Amino acid sequence: MIWQILLLSGLVLFSVLAILSKDLIKSAISLAVASLLLGIIFFRMSAPYAGVFEISVVAGLITVLFMLTIALTKAEGDVRESRVVKLAFPLFFVIFILIDVLVMKSLLQKIPALPETVEKGTFGDVLWKQRTFDLVGQLAVILAGVFSVLALFRKRDKDE
Amino acid sequence: MAFAAGLLFVGLYCLLTMKNVIKLFIGIEVISKGVTLALLATGFVKKNTLLAQSLVITFIVVEVSLVATALAIIINIYKHTKSLDIRKLTKLRG
Repeated sequence: MIWQILLLSGLVLFSVLAILSKDLIKSAISLAVASLLLGIIFFRMSAPYAGVFEISVVAGLITVLFMLTIALTKAEGDVRESRVVKLAFPLFFVIFILIDVLVMKSLLQKIPALPETVEKGTFGDVLWKQRTFDLVGQLAVILAGVFSVLALFRKRDKDE
Repeated sequence: MAFAAGLLFVGLYCLLTMKNVIKLFIGIEVISKGVTLALLATGFVKKNTLLAQSLVITFIVVEVSLVATALAIIINIYKHTKSLDIRKLTKLRG
């Protein structure tokens, strides 16, 4: 339990670092570390497949994409964020945590939850048989992503 | 669940206050982490981990597609305006 809370606190801490860091590279690395911690949390919640996806795809691939974009734009220091934003963040965060704890304490027992059902079969059964429509949706989304990236980087013809 | 709400707050704060387009997108990523955590935590509490995992994997695949497209748009914005400032996009015409 203590490890779980430490990991979750680390996840929030690195996410905060990712948005408050001045250097974009440091932000991207903080985001990758946060993804890594989230992957470890998934493993501890007995969800190894989600953990593997989180670490390999989000911490790996998306970080590489971010690094590439930062390298291609080379605009570090171009946009200056207001100092007030960084100074005011702890105040707003503490207020939010107080509200969060109070709301969670008062609402958690009152909201009716769905009854617990015992799952049968393996992860493959759930993914391929129960959630078949999701897989079709995933294929459509991947295709849409590929075509949109191709369309965005299309070069002009010489006669245009 | 409280930690997932914290992540949502951090991401929303970034979206509301920052000006750099890449920073704004990092904020969206932080929000997506909060959503993923909430999904899996609910599945873990309700002992429906397998279903929650399949939903999380679907979410991650959609997220990758979104990131690729959004970063391509950001590079095009940079080529067009020579800046990553979101305020300069208000001057676009046509």
